[in-house]
Amino acid sequence: METIERFYNGSMPTEERKVIEARLQQDAKFKTRVEDVKILLFGIEEQALKERLDEFHKELPIKKETKKSDSKVRHFNFRNIAAAIVIVMVSATFWLINNPSNERLYDSYFKPDPGLPTTMSSSDNFAFFDAMVNYKQGDYEKAINKWQILQKKAPDNDTINYFLGVAHLANKSENKAIPFLKEVTNSNHKAFKDDAHYYLGLAYLKEKNFKEAKKNLGMSSIHEAKTVLSKIKD
Amino acid sequence: MEHVYKIDSQLQLVDAIKANNSVALKKLYTTNYHKIEALVLKNNGSQEHAKDVYQEAFIIVWKNVKNDRFIPENDSALQGYLYQIARNKWMDILRSSKFKKTNFINNEMSILDKNIDHCDEEDNDLITQKMEQTMAAFKSMGNPCKELLTTFYFEKKSLREIAEELQIEENTARNKKYRCMEKLREMVLASKS
Repeated sequence: METIERFYNGSMPTEERKVIEARLQQDAKFKTRVEDVKILLFGIEEQALKERLDEFHKELPIKKETKKSDSKVRHFNFRNIAAAIVIVMVSATFWLINNPSNERLYDSYFKPDPGLPTTMSSSDNFAFFDAMVNYKQGDYEKAINKWQILQKKAPDNDTINYFLGVAHLANKSENKAIPFLKEVTNSNHKAFKDDAHYYLGLAYLKEKNFKEAKKNLGMSSIHEAKTVLSKIKD
Repeated sequence: MEHVYKIDSQLQLVDAIKANNSVALKKLYTTNYHKIEALVLKNNGSQEHAKDVYQEAFIIVWKNVKNDRFIPENDSALQGYLYQIARNKWMDILRSSKFKKTNFINNEMSILDKNIDHCDEEDNDLITQKMEQTMAAFKSMGNPCKELLTTFYFEKKSLREIAEELQIEENTARNKKYRCMEKLREMVLASKS
């Protein structure tokens, strides 16, 4: 049983695999047994996934919920809804007056850096690209932890500093992102400077430090940087 | 440059799906749902329908990625594929005569169930049947066994990690897993007769 499992999950050495493959060709009874185990394993995985999906579904961002409620419920909740509408309107007006759309500007322009391609040949820098895989899968915490270790060894490396900054930004901790991105903009290497200025500008925008935001966006030659810059309102 | 990154990330996504990475699966699930929901709601469906059709499509995508039947060729291939399958499924349901007749009766669910096998025509009936039995058996399994088997076979954690989490010996975990598998097998066999 465990042998067959190992045959499927790829942890079997080639020689043993060949033996089994040969036996599969000859022994029909053995073959059906192997098939049965395969179905068992797939069945478990599929059912587990199915149950996961319901959990995912509960976590969906909710859209147009109010539209769906039927009239009875709506009548019953009329007071609450009216109260909610008043609150929303008041806070919206308040927000519009106090926050001249710069928050929205950040949200509509911030998009995590796509990362570097992780190819097979870059195995000499395995730890870095290992973290890159986490980064691309949206597991920013893990990526940050791994890069942090590398950063201690090479504090001046602009690539690591840049991605640490971007990962912090994607992880919604702008204040942590700023020192890393600053480091990159001050370094002598040119490769990430433009991007770093752009993301640093966005980070300051989010922090409502408009002066620094404008300064950094102005120093980036990326197209989006100019668009954002022209839309910032003091 | 951007283009290269994106194809690359599709391949990463494929790897993540194969490994049942739950962050990646969840992201794929949540970012694509609303497109399908909008389509179904616009075409005579309810939110219930949307959810069922979408989940079926999601499982088909997952299966085909796992079996290497689907390999992405452009930057949004997987997402597009998911949409396509869900869309076709919904069109099938709309076309089926049963839907027209029982549109407003509450047994719409059973129609959906009958349409599930549509995309698996290649698989022969026997395997599909066995698969269904296994899934039903696993579904009704007791919780400790279910959790153990899920962490081992779905999340692909090693026995050592599982043993650490449960604070037991690795060998005890192995025995437990073995017993759970035997139990599942018995349940499948029992459901056959």
